[in-house]
Amino acid sequence: MTHKDEVYIEAAADNFGALCLSLHKEHCSPVMGMFARELKDDYRIYCAFISVKLKKWFFATLDIPKDNPQFPSIAKEIYSANLFEREIREMFGINPIGNPDNRRLRLHEEVWPKGSFPLRKDFVPPKEKPEGREYPFAKVEGEGVFEVPVGPVHAGIIGPGHFRFSVAGEPIVNLELRLGFSHRGVEKLLENKIPSAAVRLTECVAGDSAVAHSWAFCHAVEKIGGIKVPERAAIIRAILLELERMYNHVADIGGMAIDVGFSHPAALASIIKESIHSLNQRLTGSRFLKGINVIGGVARDIGNLDGLDSIMADFKDLKGILLSSVSFLDRVEPTGILRRETAENLGVTGLAGRASGIAIDLRQGFMETYNKLDYKLSTYSSGDCLARLKIRIDEFEGSAKLIRRLLENLPQGEILASDINFKEGYSLGYVEGWRGPVLYWVNLDGEGKIDRCKIIDPSFRSWQGLSYAVLGEIIPDFPLCNKSFDLSYPGGDL
Amino acid sequence: MIEIIILAFASPLLSGIITKIKNNLRFRKGPGIFQPYFNLIKFFSKEEVVSEHASWIFRIAPPVVFAAAFSALFLLPFGFTGDLIAILFLLSLGRFFLALGGLDPASAFGGMGSSREMFISSLTEPVAMLAVFAIYLDASNIMAVAALFLVALAETSRIPVDNQETHLELTMVHEAMFLEYSGRSLSLIEIAAYIKQLIFFLIIALLIFPGFNGFLFLAAKLLFLCVLVAVTEVSLAKMRLFRVTDFVSFAGLLAVAGIIWKIL
Repeated sequence: MTHKDEVYIEAAADNFGALCLSLHKEHCSPVMGMFARELKDDYRIYCAFISVKLKKWFFATLDIPKDNPQFPSIAKEIYSANLFEREIREMFGINPIGNPDNRRLRLHEEVWPKGSFPLRKDFVPPKEKPEGREYPFAKVEGEGVFEVPVGPVHAGIIGPGHFRFSVAGEPIVNLELRLGFSHRGVEKLLENKIPSAAVRLTECVAGDSAVAHSWAFCHAVEKIGGIKVPERAAIIRAILLELERMYNHVADIGGMAIDVGFSHPAALASIIKESIHSLNQRLTGSRFLKGINVIGGVARDIGNLDGLDSIMADFKDLKGILLSSVSFLDRVEPTGILRRETAENLGVTGLAGRASGIAIDLRQGFMETYNKLDYKLSTYSSGDCLARLKIRIDEFEGSAKLIRRLLENLPQGEILASDINFKEGYSLGYVEGWRGPVLYWVNLDGEGKIDRCKIIDPSFRSWQGLSYAVLGEIIPDFPLCNKSFDLSYPGGDL
Repeated sequence: MIEIIILAFASPLLSGIITKIKNNLRFRKGPGIFQPYFNLIKFFSKEEVVSEHASWIFRIAPPVVFAAAFSALFLLPFGFTGDLIAILFLLSLGRFFLALGGLDPASAFGGMGSSREMFISSLTEPVAMLAVFAIYLDASNIMAVAALFLVALAETSRIPVDNQETHLELTMVHEAMFLEYSGRSLSLIEIAAYIKQLIFFLIIALLIFPGFNGFLFLAAKLLFLCVLVAVTEVSLAKMRLFRVTDFVSFAGLLAVAGIIWKIL
């Protein structure tokens, strides 16, 4: 049961680091994901890399005995593994030896006791008292340097996250993020569920990426079972994915305008966003495109996409206003620069990566439905807020073109596969969501239930990109930088 | 005396009208023009929460701010019997106490707000003074009036200097100073801000076509100013904080040019 786009390479403890490093260098890939899984006597670590050239995923695997749960950290050579290693430590109690950061990620010291690891199979909810230790933020000291704590409760309707700024006057010297407040234990909740019942849950991992997440999950399960999704269903999924991209991109374009106090285009953007939501509702019955993806296809057929033309006409106005306003451009350029090298080291991919010149898009060569569509990738090299804004504009227009082409290709026929089965096996499902690649690594047990499901939302890696992009910027520009990334709190917190 | 109290009562109306115009420009209905009054009544009837770290400064700041603005109303130059310099002094007294009130509870946002407000006012106050000198030389000095208008945008925390509508504490200037205030104190601070806005607008209105200052003319000129401010706010993005220096220097240049023009 091997899949042609996934390559698994077993390693031993002493050459795991070297293997990862060679995969990292060979394919110019950050650690796209790193996770553990519990076997009978061992834990198995998977470290995933993407090869854009070969259109393949490479996994380095390492088995670790349960009585000595530790492995050599690779974070010193490959920085993008850092957060994943910390995650493995707190979820499985497997210690990455040599990882310099001992702090918790999601199971905060204030609320979660020591020595309780939720993703182990023998986990029971802990009764002990939490450590109550305070989280040690990096300290910046010096004359005139002071700390500004923001969050986790914010004034706007956004997710919970704590931002600790160290500032010298207005310029930001250091920004530390503390996330994990919206950790719901999704991966644990998915365990022992039948895949068809789990799809609804995956839609809620990041509510603004319902299609991307549920599709990635379905993709993994369909690959395991060899389920052939009818072409009509696959194209409908792609249309919905592009609609999801459009409503989120235009919301963020409006959001960036509102964050610099430019309210007229922001109002226009919200009109466009609402039109797309209405369109979604007409097509699927759900404004946020939920409840449509099912294992083996889609739950209902879609009608016609009237209204796309007027949406595009409005969008043209919006684009014109924004890109011709001197006062607006002065704010977004060159604010919040994420250099390419930094982005590569942190493993920033997707929209934010493309703005910094990293040309990874799973719609090019990875996702079958898109293969014959000749999708033109848009990248910029400046990595500032303007570049991220322009990527959004390009992709919004690109999505509309894609939808038109997909509609031309939409064949008649079934929308649900007939051979739905859940057999034992594992596979990686992937979809290019609007923020970037959404990955689901799923392992089904002998009864066809989920044994382990690792969810990797691009936000998890990209959050760090934000903390580097704002360095040297002044505090009032932070909301703009934040909005230009617009990362998901729940997607990263899981 | 009666006129002054009527003016004070009418001052929130300006903000209500500006908000209404702005919303209409943004394809929205928006709240009615009397919404500021409802807000004030709401604040006034609410319980006040005071940080336990706050000292007496925090408590006396709102009444001082209000008193300064209210007494400045008495010095309004109806027919040039007033004293523009004294008005500016009174307003900066209010600002000084508001900044202290922002610093007092030691919250991060209050400190940020106070520091930014002081930074901006250190630029706008000299420019306002220059504009006033130019006006003393010649009441219909259009350049001085333009300078005063730009200063008024900054002083009333309007775009492109500040943004009254934002909920983002990190970008706020004026509003960040009184984030800690609630209830009656908040309503006093808000009224003071409305009065200050009215003072600036009235001075400008009196100076445009100084010959026509009957009640109806004045009201029409104020309405015109409201439209002007609303259009400015909708069609511009807020400036980067340190860009404000350029904005205010331009106003300063206008004022100086006004003086030179007159002297030559």
